[in-house]
Amino acid sequence: MFRRLTLLALIAILVMPIGITHARQETVTIKFWHTYNETSPENDMLVNTLIPMFEESHPNIKVESVPFPYGEFRQTLLTSLAGGEGPDLARLDIIWSPEFAQLGVLSALDETMPDFQDLAARVFPGPLSTNAYDGHYWGLPLDTNTRVFMYNPTLFEQAGITASPTTIDELKALCEPIKALGDDIYLFSDGGTYGWAVLPWIWSFGGDITDPEITTASGYLNSEKTVAAYEFLAEMVDQGCFSPSYLGGGMDTGTGYFTDIFASMLDGPWMYPIAEAQYPDFEIQAAQMPAGEGGSISVVGGENIALFAGAAHPDEAMEFLRFTQSDEYQLKMSEVGQLTVIPSLLENEYFQNHPYYGAFLEQLKTAKARTPHPAWSQMEEILTDAGQLILRGEASPQEALDLAAEEIDELLAEE
Amino acid sequence: MRSKLHHRWYVPYLFLLPGLALYILWMIYPLGYELYISFFNWKIMPGQQSEFIGLENYKEVMHDKYFWMALENTVRYTAVTVGGQMLIGLGLAVLVHRVFIGKRIFRTIYYIPVVTSWVVVSFLFQFLFSSHPGGFVNYLLVSVLGVLDKPVMWMSETKTAWIIIYVLGIWKGVGWTMVIFLAALQGVPVELYESAAIDGAGEWQQFKNVTLPLIRRTTLFIMVALVIGGFQAFVSIYLITGGGPLHRTEVVLSYMYDRAFDRLRFGYGASLSYVLAAIVVFVSFIQMRMFRQSD
Amino acid sequence: MRETSLSMHSVRNRSQRRFQIIIFIILCLGVIVAMAPIAYMISTAFKLHAYVPEFPLQFIPRNPTLENFETAFHSRNFDTALYNSIRVAIATSVVVTTLTAMMAYSFARFDFFGKNIIFYTLLAMMMVPSMMLIIPQFLLATRLDMLNSLNGLILVYSAGSMAFNMFLLRGFFEALPRELEESALIDGANHFTIFARIMIPLAKPALSTVAVFSFLGAWDEYIWALTVLTDVEKRTLPIAIANFRGAHSSDWGLIFAAALTAVVPTVIIFLVFQRYFVQGITTGAVKG
Repeated sequence: MFRRLTLLALIAILVMPIGITHARQETVTIKFWHTYNETSPENDMLVNTLIPMFEESHPNIKVESVPFPYGEFRQTLLTSLAGGEGPDLARLDIIWSPEFAQLGVLSALDETMPDFQDLAARVFPGPLSTNAYDGHYWGLPLDTNTRVFMYNPTLFEQAGITASPTTIDELKALCEPIKALGDDIYLFSDGGTYGWAVLPWIWSFGGDITDPEITTASGYLNSEKTVAAYEFLAEMVDQGCFSPSYLGGGMDTGTGYFTDIFASMLDGPWMYPIAEAQYPDFEIQAAQMPAGEGGSISVVGGENIALFAGAAHPDEAMEFLRFTQSDEYQLKMSEVGQLTVIPSLLENEYFQNHPYYGAFLEQLKTAKARTPHPAWSQMEEILTDAGQLILRGEASPQEALDLAAEEIDELLAEE
Repeated sequence: MRSKLHHRWYVPYLFLLPGLALYILWMIYPLGYELYISFFNWKIMPGQQSEFIGLENYKEVMHDKYFWMALENTVRYTAVTVGGQMLIGLGLAVLVHRVFIGKRIFRTIYYIPVVTSWVVVSFLFQFLFSSHPGGFVNYLLVSVLGVLDKPVMWMSETKTAWIIIYVLGIWKGVGWTMVIFLAALQGVPVELYESAAIDGAGEWQQFKNVTLPLIRRTTLFIMVALVIGGFQAFVSIYLITGGGPLHRTEVVLSYMYDRAFDRLRFGYGASLSYVLAAIVVFVSFIQMRMFRQSD
Repeated sequence: MRETSLSMHSVRNRSQRRFQIIIFIILCLGVIVAMAPIAYMISTAFKLHAYVPEFPLQFIPRNPTLENFETAFHSRNFDTALYNSIRVAIATSVVVTTLTAMMAYSFARFDFFGKNIIFYTLLAMMMVPSMMLIIPQFLLATRLDMLNSLNGLILVYSAGSMAFNMFLLRGFFEALPRELEESALIDGANHFTIFARIMIPLAKPALSTVAVFSFLGAWDEYIWALTVLTDVEKRTLPIAIANFRGAHSSDWGLIFAAALTAVVPTVIIFLVFQRYFVQGITTGAVKG
């Protein structure tokens, strides 16, 4: 027995130093999860240009880029974190940051990252604020965007429309000429009644979801102005001006737009690289979100990059996180439709002469963010369902929104 | 019963052990573990504490309108697809049984949809039922057959979305029922038909009085198996509609998966699973009972 | 008398022939319904940029191209996914066939304490939807460190298809004559030799059935793999195919080119092993 123990100890002593030196020489692989579509220009840029660039300057770090479909991402991430198989870094939709922060799975960068303040000072305050929760910062912004009004030049010309609508009333007036082009041609389309789709209308009508402190939805979601926004949408869908894709499962909005079925839509800068790749003859025409009583207010999108508390290699991951905040990275990603979050870069010649970012930067001045709250995913489900009931004519806007406001109030009270 | 082979007492266990161990670890133990979980507000993030709440989850299930909707959908899906598969499968089997030319080729071709992957055919049917006028089904109904005058937005309405899922379920399953019915038909002695014909029984009467009673056991087997399968429907619904719009195409399993892996309510998901399993076992027993009684 | 009988016969013959033609036509229509979706999928896989179905519909692609197949195969990790799926399906097939054969032999040939309870437990478990156990299985896999592990996948798939295949084999073993075994026993062979040397060779057709069924089950499985696998290099084929769907719009030609990779092998396996399929699915059903 004793002899066996000595032997074991001997082996341990012999093996240990080898193990340590071995580990030091080995390259470390960090996992970076994101939702860039596998066949997209963004993914191509990340995998074939940026990561090799980083790996060359950091020979001891390998970056494993793991793409997921957007719809599955949040759930996959939750599940793997529960199973202790999460990544080191992830690109999170800005509305997910509070939820993951609340779950306690993210690393508070203002505590763990010595140069956090320097990095934070470089970026737009708006996108940065989407990382804040409970007095800490749980990530840094990676890219920002918003939706602008895009119209189909062919359909507009056929309908004899010369100027893009600047107000919601003007947009409404275009319904007749577009409808005259055919039964299955629609003035405008969107993919559903989720927040990303309905919020620009709600805000531009002057309505809102909750009070600024996010304590109650009653008096906001069911206010006169929000109701008016939904009444407008319901009327448009009912009259066949806006496409029935709002009810879900119809033709993909972008595809319909490019193939002359939808005369207009709200969408982001990534549509340009898509057009270039798939519809090279198409020229996207962009304008500001048509204004209503509340102004021309669109929705802020974008992503943050977050470091996980359970990261296997936090130091190396932080190194890559820094790289994503560099001018180099931000400029390269801007080439494929990922608008930079670093204001000083906008002085750059590239942006000054840019063919399409101008409209987005202009729209971003007034755009608002979706409710930054850990329960956003659940709030959005309530919102989506209310919108469906309204557009299907199964409930009046007031009824549906009263009920939804009540449900969201309950949710907010739980926190 | 024949005498069993002589052996030492442990020999049968040695044969059973490896398989049974695997089975107990991944099937029996989870079954018990799930019951345990269902009594908790189960937390899965590292460092969180689960809370024992007794029967609260089950009480919530009973008052959950989405659960009842999902259950109703599950039952309807089962009824429609089981009925469709059995009727069409039996019809095809009778025809294949009677045809002189190409018997085996027909059998082979009808079975091909059965071996295709659920993931692939779910995408395929989504594409076939595209709302575009050039979508396969729309084109067929509007431009070729002229049955409809306008393309249908299949995925927008709950009813039409269900049609996609039903058609897929029946299309993919008919080959299986057909092959089994065919084997059963081939087992019916020809002399029985001959003597029935001599007694003056027509085609229909022969089918009713000779064929159907003799394939009773097969019919029961197919029905029980298909009903269990119907209650398991998940992948096609998950991939085609994702339960939407408004949870209206949710089935119990898709709802369970959503609550557990999207809302992280593992305890609640576990109790949903248990309620469903209880229903399936109960329904299966009832079916077998009914058939035994009428024997 | 003789004449009438003859003319009766020819009338019957004629109506018989008409009947044959009618059922043949109906069956051919059935073939169209069964095959058209698959044919259309194949056709779409040869079309470039099929984001929307074209109008009017082209059943035969105007400019057929192999580009979708090239894109699919050159996209990152598609070959890995294919390899993973082959590996998992073969391993599952081997594990299930071996273990269920042993179990089935035990049930078919021996009496032992606890036999009934084990037997009926397995039988009852066949009614439980396998998906129902996904929550505890996920927690178990977490604890055993088997998320993101292909071996974990193999074990779960094997366990899941065990009961059905065991009953299939047991039925087959019970029907085999015992004389060979009895004489081998008298010659001093032990049960393991008998199992390996006598039973396995005799049971080859049934074992092939089990092997093929469990292979296909593992090959197609989606939701468990989706739930437990996140590493790119661990993904299986169904997940890789699903990932070709885009967030904004889907290139259906590309999806179906990838999908054919999954479907073609199963159809070939089915055509080659057809006999065993029919045997496998009808044994339990027809004999009762």
